[in-house]
Amino acid sequence: MSASTAPGAPASGPIVELSAVTKDYPLGKLTVQALRGVDLRIERGEFIAIAGPSGSGKTTLLNLVGCVDVPTAGAVRIEGQSTSELSEKQLTTLRLHKLGFIFQSFNLVGVLDVFQNVELPLLLQGGLTSADRKRRVAEMVDKVGLTPQTRQRPNELSGGQRQRVAIARALVTRPAIVMADEPTANLDSGTGGAIIELMKDINRTDHTTFIFSTHDANVMGHARRLVELVDGRIAADHPVSEAA
Amino acid sequence: MAGSPVAQARVLAQMALRSLASHKVKSLIVGSIMVFGTALVVVGTSLLDSVEAGMERSIVKSLSGHLQLYDAEAKDDLALFGGTGMGGDDYGEVPDFGEVQRVVQALDGVEAVVPMGLGLANMSRGSELDRALDALRRAVEDGDAAARVALIHRVQRLLELMHADLANSRAITADTTELDANLAHVERAQQDAFWAPFAGDDLAAKRAALDFLDTKVAPAGGDGVQYYLRYLGTDLPLFARVFDRFRIVEGQPVPEGRRGLLMNKRFADSQLKLKVARLLDELHDAATLNDARIADDPALAAKARQARSLYGSLTLMLSPEDAAALTETLRAAFPDVQPTEGQSDLDALMQAALTVDDDTLKARYAFFYEQIAPRVELYPFRVGDVLTLRAFTKRGYMKSVNVKVYGTFEFAGLERSELSGAANLVDLMTFRDLYGQMTEAQQAELKAIQAEVGLERVDRADAEAAFFGGADDSVEKVADGSVFGDFEVARIEREAGTRVADDRPFTREQMLDGVVLNAAVILADGVAVDEAKARVQAAVDAAGLKLKVVDWRAASGVIGQFVLVIRGVLLLAIGIIFIVALVIINNSMLMATLERVREIGTLRAIGAQRRFVMAMVMLETLVLGLLSGGVGAGLGAALVGWMGDVGIPAKNDILVFLFSGPRLHPTVGAGNLLVALVVILVVSLISTWYPARIATRVQPVEAMREA
Ligand SMILES: Nc1ncnc2c1ncn2[C@@H]1O[C@H](COP(=O)(O)OP(=O)(O)O)[C@@H](O)[C@H]1O
Ligand SMILES: [Mg+2]
Repeated sequence: MSASTAPGAPASGPIVELSAVTKDYPLGKLTVQALRGVDLRIERGEFIAIAGPSGSGKTTLLNLVGCVDVPTAGAVRIEGQSTSELSEKQLTTLRLHKLGFIFQSFNLVGVLDVFQNVELPLLLQGGLTSADRKRRVAEMVDKVGLTPQTRQRPNELSGGQRQRVAIARALVTRPAIVMADEPTANLDSGTGGAIIELMKDINRTDHTTFIFSTHDANVMGHARRLVELVDGRIAADHPVSEAA
Repeated sequence: MAGSPVAQARVLAQMALRSLASHKVKSLIVGSIMVFGTALVVVGTSLLDSVEAGMERSIVKSLSGHLQLYDAEAKDDLALFGGTGMGGDDYGEVPDFGEVQRVVQALDGVEAVVPMGLGLANMSRGSELDRALDALRRAVEDGDAAARVALIHRVQRLLELMHADLANSRAITADTTELDANLAHVERAQQDAFWAPFAGDDLAAKRAALDFLDTKVAPAGGDGVQYYLRYLGTDLPLFARVFDRFRIVEGQPVPEGRRGLLMNKRFADSQLKLKVARLLDELHDAATLNDARIADDPALAAKARQARSLYGSLTLMLSPEDAAALTETLRAAFPDVQPTEGQSDLDALMQAALTVDDDTLKARYAFFYEQIAPRVELYPFRVGDVLTLRAFTKRGYMKSVNVKVYGTFEFAGLERSELSGAANLVDLMTFRDLYGQMTEAQQAELKAIQAEVGLERVDRADAEAAFFGGADDSVEKVADGSVFGDFEVARIEREAGTRVADDRPFTREQMLDGVVLNAAVILADGVAVDEAKARVQAAVDAAGLKLKVVDWRAASGVIGQFVLVIRGVLLLAIGIIFIVALVIINNSMLMATLERVREIGTLRAIGAQRRFVMAMVMLETLVLGLLSGGVGAGLGAALVGWMGDVGIPAKNDILVFLFSGPRLHPTVGAGNLLVALVVILVVSLISTWYPARIATRVQPVEAMREA
């Protein structure tokens, strides 16, 4: 896997496809059924929100799509490839090259500065010359508007700035899909809105697929498609009008 | 992972450094342990290496040479500096040293092959009376009138004491026949008439009187003090040449081709010297060398008390003139001393002069050596004396040899070391006499015996038994009941009436072609000992000599193992330190890992493989290890450098030996630093291996968990 656009993948098919996915968590003697038969197709370039109350299975769903976990039953296919059939190492490689992650708590590496945090996935990927890599990082940092903070460490930044760094880090490898689990939950609504706008901008210009979860109605309003989860099942799945 | 290794390594190193910096307390604690551990390794191994080099100098240049050869079938391991047995060790024998020398000397890098034979002899000092009579006989023969008068006086005084002793014994003995006879002899010698010839010119009459005293009176007085003397028979001139620590202190070397003994100064000082003087020496050494105080040290206080109690042993030795002169000197020094009831003035003053405490020690010590020592005999021998050495031959018969003391020697730099007193030196012929090798005359006589009893061949053991063990009239019963059988020496003793040295010269061939117990091989500078050892072994094997070759360490006996023991102890200490370090590093890294579960999960989620996480955790300790190791090695090297400048004083005699002198000047080598760094890095890696494994097991979903 060399490029982020994966030329070998069927351009026509869905970029993500879940069929009859269930996910059980053992909890002592009990089993928690976090997802109970989810079918979902996501096309390239979508900007999609997963909504639902706390405990409805949003994070579980994103974990499966993000290949950090595999389903108990059913199949999760990324560009047609079932994740259950991949080794842990292959899943890691898949994440590195196809996916980008934005976390609720930002999850930056505290000892690295902005530039280095953004650079990290490229270092893991390798393949770029030092100059190319640095240029790409600088562009990305500029895109999220943090050029003045390039050499600052996460603890010197505000929450919104930190999430911008996370966005830059998720996008620097030009992934096919970016997962964001409640990216605005730890931000005030103004900042949260700006973050979603930034993601939306990028989606518009680069056609990167964004899947983000939220239980904030304001944030849902920015999505173009809304999938509502209730008790591990999809209760609704509909487009969102731009005006809303 | 594909990755870009260099850039990845850089970011990992940076992460490690920053992570260390952000956990200052943890880094400081772990770092300090690592610094300490590394410094300990550097200092410890440097010191040990220096000690080992010092010990090598001590051993190689004093007794052992680089290699030792001895009987391959020896029952005991060679122990030049004393092993477990008291000289009773069986090192087998090397029947023909000449051949060994020819074979080994021809090898490259061999500088000298020195014949050797260790033995233990009994040396009798003779009773006070024996020695007074020896001296009197000398004075008579030399016509020294003044000495004669003083010595007669002394002999008469000793006769008085002896008479009182015998009378006491008589009172408590049932069968008094022998005692009565002895008393009669003593009483005869106490009469003025007995001493009359000494005033005249009749030398024969004087000799007759002395013979009577020697043969009839003195034997009733007992044997006097016995000493055990460990000796090394060797080619003395060669020994002096190749063992460059060897140095004559007093007297002269034994000339080529002559029999003689060189007394080890250290041995004489610690074993033979007059007890009072020895005690004062010990007190003085403790005070000047170790800053020890009598007041603080019960052992020293006991020595001081003992020295004080021995005044009688000194006053008894003084001639009347010396007693008078010394009384005057002492009175001037101690005007207020009063004798107690029944004590003489001199005894009281002597006691005062020997009473030392921390304040008076220096002055009294000096006083003793200036005023008292010159008037008494500090040693039971003087250079030029003839000593009688008695030893059991290999077959168990007692032999005795009279040998002249040519001088005393020491090993330079090791003067204070008790171990350097391990052996006195005698010529090889004297060694062989004591060992039991037969002289040509004896061999001739043996042939005669063989002819007489009609035996074709008598093996060596039988011959010796026949020779020394038979009930013929050349075997003399001695006072202690043992039999000593060297009739030749016995005859010399009887004929002369006093000790006369066996002074038969010998040729080089006689010396070389005969039995020795072992041989030292001195290698040229820069020849590797191990490599030379293999070559020498191959050469003697090829020549059909049944010899084993050992290096100096093995040959020296227990002392050679000493450094190994210290090394073991050091290793243990380092081991313990590092086990502690290991546990602490392991724990703190484990805790750090648990604190970083989210961060590690995040790295895994964004695509870092397990190997990257492993490297990240390991590198952190490795960087800390490298930094601390560098600092520790630097500190250690500085410490060793400082110690090297100042020198570590050898506080006791074993240390003098190990340090090969009074101070050790350790140096640090690149090897010491390298070993320390490698050790600390290995410890870092081992201690972090488990936390790193735990870190690699962190799942990427950990990144998603809410804070
Ligand atoms: N690792 C887990 N072990 C056990 N139960 C879990 C685990 N993760 C999630 N759950 C449970 O699964 C359900 C769905 O959780 P989650 O996907 O986190 O929901 P959401 O993100 O919508 O709040 C919840 O009932 C939650 O308690
Ligand atoms: Mg959630």
